[in-house]
Amino acid sequence: MTDWYSLDEWFCARLAQTIHDAEMVFHGFASPCATIAMHLAKRTHAPHMVLIEGATYAVNPDPWFIPPTSNDRALMHDASYVMSFEELFDAGARGDLDRMFLSGAQIDRLGNTNVTLIGTRDAIGVKLGGGGGGCNLSATVGALTLWTTRHRSARTLVDRCDFVTDLGHRTPDGTRAELGHRGGGPEMLVTELGVFKFCDGVAVLVERFPDVEPAEIERATGFAFGTADVPLVPPPPAEVIELVRALDPLGVRQREFAPRELARMFELR
Amino acid sequence: MCSRGANALGHATRESSTVPVDTSPDKVVSLSEAVAGVADGAVVALGGGLSSRLPMALVRELCRQQRRDLHLVGSAHGIDVDLLIAAGAVGVVEESYVGFEQDLGVAPAYRSAIETGAVELRETCCATLLAQLRAAEYGIPFMPVRGVLGSTILQLHPEYRELECPFTGERLLLAPALSPDVALLHAVAADAAGNVVLPKPYVLDVRFAYASRRVIVSTERILEPGQLKLDEVTIPHFVVGAVVEAPYGAHPASCYPDYSYDRRALQDWVKVASSNGRLRNVIEALVAEDESAYRAALGSARLEELRAWDARDRLLDLMQ
Repeated sequence: MTDWYSLDEWFCARLAQTIHDAEMVFHGFASPCATIAMHLAKRTHAPHMVLIEGATYAVNPDPWFIPPTSNDRALMHDASYVMSFEELFDAGARGDLDRMFLSGAQIDRLGNTNVTLIGTRDAIGVKLGGGGGGCNLSATVGALTLWTTRHRSARTLVDRCDFVTDLGHRTPDGTRAELGHRGGGPEMLVTELGVFKFCDGVAVLVERFPDVEPAEIERATGFAFGTADVPLVPPPPAEVIELVRALDPLGVRQREFAPRELARMFELR
Repeated sequence: MCSRGANALGHATRESSTVPVDTSPDKVVSLSEAVAGVADGAVVALGGGLSSRLPMALVRELCRQQRRDLHLVGSAHGIDVDLLIAAGAVGVVEESYVGFEQDLGVAPAYRSAIETGAVELRETCCATLLAQLRAAEYGIPFMPVRGVLGSTILQLHPEYRELECPFTGERLLLAPALSPDVALLHAVAADAAGNVVLPKPYVLDVRFAYASRRVIVSTERILEPGQLKLDEVTIPHFVVGAVVEAPYGAHPASCYPDYSYDRRALQDWVKVASSNGRLRNVIEALVAEDESAYRAALGSARLEELRAWDARDRLLDLMQ
């Protein structure tokens, strides 16, 4: 057992805490931290969850390791079932999925996320990868856990998304109720600086990492979020950190973080 | 519109809005023959997803034959779309994602072509696309879809409509039926008649097979009649129009259980496609003269490495 752990390990552990036991949970592709978080939850406080891998749709697998691509046999190992594409999206549409993980190059205070483009449709500044199934699933899944590892950039948590790919609590076209969407929308937002909870449809800061000053969070956030003087993220148990390392020996999770964040180390107590 | 008949050999044929029934016992053709039927401007559905079971041999042949203005349709894809864009073969991209995830990022040729306006962006969502294919399969003009309302994705799709449900009063998005002109799929095995074996996940391959007007299947191997067990068939012969033998036909994507994906090849692609250099020459070299030249350029040692994909070997390979 090492005496130190890193921010990327802690981040996965904190993301896992947003999952409740017995939920049916799905992560999209391009989401190694969420993938690891789901396997941590399944192996610790949420043994009864139904874990569905993004891109393979394998149910409750025991991956050999987390691979750098998410449509891969490594994520299907020892699965109890492999859903079809149709089964997964039908489950989402009828409201059987309790939770999904979503991220974005931009995330606003209402929980809308942008993974499509920076700029406007007629003047595209930067093309982003794209939303996968998010603009369908974000409407119908019971609760959304949002995450970003790029909060500090000050370009990610914005007042208003240039383009709304996935649906938060309210878009320029209306509230979820007005738009006819049945899902509960964003519930939590975990960043490399702290943790937000959505209260009455807006993001409110509830925790910060101990090496982050309140002023840093204020500088990095493009919207008002209540006070930055919030409790610290509770430290993770040693066994959870060990699990992160065992699940992800290639360190695929680290591809989500800037080098500066990977250098953040914490003493295990 | 539906006419029934028989072809010159007496096998059943039918021309309908989606799948023409074809019961010929031998649909095996060469790669170049199969792709010759894909017209410039065609709506092309790409099977597989991300870096798995992409129809790369067929994609490379589209590059060799210098196809233009293709309208690509699919869920989340990668080097298939990117290579076609870099080769100048694409006019419209209607995919839900194009890239290499957190590992290698957004597909570089896609990003650049969308940013410059060289290719039209019609980004779609997985469940919307599924509903559109199902409408084609069901023989109905549209399907209601949950979600999307409120998303800016709507702006990219003037063909979508909105409806108040006559039964429940709910607001629903309607998406029109989608019948791609051709589906390009890569299989682990098929017989000459076109019975196809796919490994899971099938992604949208089976839906594409039923919704498209023509289905071209490349396969790692062609099995003798009778070798295929009934339970193994994922797509039945009568919806398949052509079968092409293409070993390593998904490379650099994976085709399990035969071989894993080739991350080093994707890294090389991302590097070269990001450089904005003379991509045409690079692509000519990359797709090679034909598939046997392509495999020869990779070398048998590398191909054997990719076949050894048990847990330990995979881990070591990816760590290099």
